[in-house]
Amino acid sequence: MNPRLNKFKKKNLIYSASLGVLLLFLSSLIPPLRTPLLDIFKLPLNLLNFTRHEIAGIIFYHQHMSQNEKLRRENDLLKQKLIALNEVYLENERLNKFLSLKQKSSYRVIAAKVIGRPADSWSSVIIIDKGTYHGIKRGFVAINYLGLVGRVIETTFLTSKIMLINDPNLSVSAIVERSRQEGLVSGTLGSYLMMKYLPKEADVKISDVIVTSGLTYVYPKGLLIGTVVDINEEFSRLTRYCLIKPAVHLSNIEEVLIIIP
Amino acid sequence: MRNWIFLIAIVILGLIQVTILNYVKIFNIKPDLLLISLLLSSLFFEMKWAFILGVFAGILKDIFTIDAFGTNTLLFALWAYLIVKLSKKISIDNNYIRVPLMFIITLFTSIITRLILLTQGNAIPFGITLRIMFLEPLYTALIFPLVLKYTQPILSFKVIK
Repeated sequence: MNPRLNKFKKKNLIYSASLGVLLLFLSSLIPPLRTPLLDIFKLPLNLLNFTRHEIAGIIFYHQHMSQNEKLRRENDLLKQKLIALNEVYLENERLNKFLSLKQKSSYRVIAAKVIGRPADSWSSVIIIDKGTYHGIKRGFVAINYLGLVGRVIETTFLTSKIMLINDPNLSVSAIVERSRQEGLVSGTLGSYLMMKYLPKEADVKISDVIVTSGLTYVYPKGLLIGTVVDINEEFSRLTRYCLIKPAVHLSNIEEVLIIIP
Repeated sequence: MRNWIFLIAIVILGLIQVTILNYVKIFNIKPDLLLISLLLSSLFFEMKWAFILGVFAGILKDIFTIDAFGTNTLLFALWAYLIVKLSKKISIDNNYIRVPLMFIITLFTSIITRLILLTQGNAIPFGITLRIMFLEPLYTALIFPLVLKYTQPILSFKVIK
């Protein structure tokens, strides 16, 4: 090879390298120059990174799979724990309300848990985990922190049956809190209660609060029953009745307090 | 052996009836799993055991209801006897006959129960009475094939000697 040509090539190479270094140096000093350079490198870098990621994915497939399974199990476990903790939190909230009611209440009460419901659709009853052994007797009144729940109709040594206020067989003497209008509240087996035997000129309005009247010895005075949602006339047109939304969520009671007279 | 296992199955169905089933109520009505167990025992067992299992289911239902004790026991015994007699006269071997039969049994049980409640002075509004009287049989009849599917292993259980 010609030595002059060789020398020329070497010279060009040195110049090119110096120019490259200079450009890199300048790019580090001048951001507007560095940015387009980085932009140029972005695509090949991405491509390389993608290839590396994919190859690593293939090589470590099994490891990732077992790791994924492990994480999934952990996730399930944590989800279950979260649900359980949420349940405990809700129970705690309910029991706190119960405790405050028990402390505020002027009555002697026994707290009980609901363990069952009736086997048929013809009655509205709950079964609780306290019976005669705990001092519960037939006729005692059941409440919770929201209001009147029902009345004990049957007791065994360790359990009791409570007829809820939405059972048609249970009637409670009640008054409209605002106007003191008396009436008889009974269940319909549905979501609402019915306050019957109201005179035509009775002072009852929608959203009025209904409480126990205390006229009968059984139910203490002033226990919240619910609020009026509708007022109608009886078929005979002699009296009126109103529909009451119970204060207590009767379909999902979990704990009750039994009042000992 | 099969009889005793089905007896335990009746207890489990009874417990489901008074607990979990309250979460699947439609229009405040739930299916009667104990009546389903009665029909199953009457169809898959001979007269003696059908009667015993029927009475057992009836007692269980009486325990968990507030009706006069014995109402369901007597009714269930009567149904067990009649179904076994009927199954000897006509073939009740497919769901097209079993489901309507389940509907009829539940409907009659509802009507009789309502009449008994009425004599006790129980005043359920007419609309609600109708709703329970027709929806409960429908719901029970529709759920019957599902219960049959899950109890089939017990009903076809045989001890291999």
